[in-house]
Amino acid sequence: MTKRTFLSAAVCGLGLVLGAGCASDDASQLNPEGIGADAPLPVRGALGELIASHPLQSQTIYFDYDSARIKDSETPKIQAAAKHLIENFRVQCELEGHCDERGSGEYNMSLGERRAQAVRAGLIGFGIEASKLHTKSFGEEKPIDPEHDESAWRKNRRVEFALYK
Amino acid sequence: MKKWVATITLVVVAEMTAFGQDVRIVRPGMEISSIDISAFRIEEGGQGALFLRTLESDLDRSGWFVLSKRGGAAITLDGSYSESAGRASVYGDLNNRAMGRNFFRKTFDDRKTAARKLAHQLADEIVRAVKNAPGIAATRIAMVGARSGKKSVYLCDADGSNLVQLTKDDGICLALGWAPDGRSLVYTSYTGGFPDVYRIDLDANRRVALSKFPGLNACADIAPNGSEMALTLSKDGNPDLYVMGLGRRGGLERLTRTPHAAEASPSWSPDGKRVVYVSDQAGTPQLYVTDRGGRAAKRVTFVGNENVAPDWGPNGAIAYSSRRAGRYVVYALDPDTQVERQVSGADADYEDPSWAPDGRHIVCARKVNYHSEIYILDSKGGNPIRLFRMEGEWTSPAWSPK
Repeated sequence: MTKRTFLSAAVCGLGLVLGAGCASDDASQLNPEGIGADAPLPVRGALGELIASHPLQSQTIYFDYDSARIKDSETPKIQAAAKHLIENFRVQCELEGHCDERGSGEYNMSLGERRAQAVRAGLIGFGIEASKLHTKSFGEEKPIDPEHDESAWRKNRRVEFALYK
Repeated sequence: MKKWVATITLVVVAEMTAFGQDVRIVRPGMEISSIDISAFRIEEGGQGALFLRTLESDLDRSGWFVLSKRGGAAITLDGSYSESAGRASVYGDLNNRAMGRNFFRKTFDDRKTAARKLAHQLADEIVRAVKNAPGIAATRIAMVGARSGKKSVYLCDADGSNLVQLTKDDGICLALGWAPDGRSLVYTSYTGGFPDVYRIDLDANRRVALSKFPGLNACADIAPNGSEMALTLSKDGNPDLYVMGLGRRGGLERLTRTPHAAEASPSWSPDGKRVVYVSDQAGTPQLYVTDRGGRAAKRVTFVGNENVAPDWGPNGAIAYSSRRAGRYVVYALDPDTQVERQVSGADADYEDPSWAPDGRHIVCARKVNYHSEIYILDSKGGNPIRLFRMEGEWTSPAWSPK
């Protein structure tokens, strides 16, 4: 672990304590000071072998249209993910951000990334090291439901957890 | 770096005729001239008929002319197309007889298989001579095509012919842009497993990764000077815009710093001093203009809750897609006066506009019932023209700069 990563992890733990209970409409109300939102991403080579089956596959985080705000309903999932990552401290986590099919494909690339980073900031807020948290945006390119209605779109605006050994 | 260099497969998809597919309604106006090319002679056999068909289509698509065969046309073209010993030769003599004015007498010569190219050359000369405007007949359009569900980069002539598949990404790719010299393209592809920015060198048939930082590398637009590009990166946290040097020395400058917002789709002004881009810092995606140093960012769109996919044209106007009453509509905006003008209809979703080098035409993706095709719009009026008819999904068009 680099000195810088260690420092940011330590500061983030503090952010969790200070930030607990603060309401905010910002993307990272789990981490209202935004601590860790600017924590540089780890290098890609750190990802090892993909874990095919893990409990976080049922913890997909869902979003509103054109929004990267973590909804109250989703907070317990991030907490559960943080717990799993603390218990499995060797695991690297890739946060995969997705959008529904509407709107600009280019903007959706950035929005998907921002969603992944909002979840990342939340996990950092729960004390997970930034160096274990990778992001990948798929924009609108990988819908989980191919239909063209609100029920499909709701499922497609999401961040999935992919874990690597 | 070496392993990121990949050879590009060049596959000719089909020889397509782009003629007579769409009925065009020409808006009456002083700018449109009638032209009579019925005195132009072609030899029997050979590529003469193809040459003439292409020339007629080019003149029609230029938006500047209506073809007339009944006499009385303002402009007349005489001349001939002939072939001998593997070469094709074109002679054109363009006149406004009533005014007693000769525009030019010119000869072009090329390989016998280059009938289309010769027609494009003559059409562009006619537009330049009569209208003092750049022609688009010899230009090209790149786009993303998904013919079997998987996306790759394709390239065709501005009239929809000569469609070729440039890459075999077989996955996700988007955000195409041309280098100002028209000899290479940049785009975003997942071919290496992550969203990275690549350059396709059209002369060498080669692809090289330009940006593969951790996180998102996307939406590159090469500056008019050709030596740097603006793009979206998320390596330092949230997606922000950066300017990356393309030379040996590289170099990276940050253009935006918005820890709670996403930026996308940068496009340089024609003088390279400003960049227009999308940011959702105000809660919805809107267009902003910043100077080259990332200072003085100013919001320029205020109508509608989604204004996206800007392309700053050679005429100084920014084309973009705006969501109005549930439809995506192409608008053109003067960023200094903030006066906007509707360019496309609202009968379908018109997305991802890209200006032609004539500053008049715009290529865009037109989506109906979740099926997307490429159409050309004339910002001076008239119906949109379908670029070609081909199964699959066609998106992200980019018009070559020359």
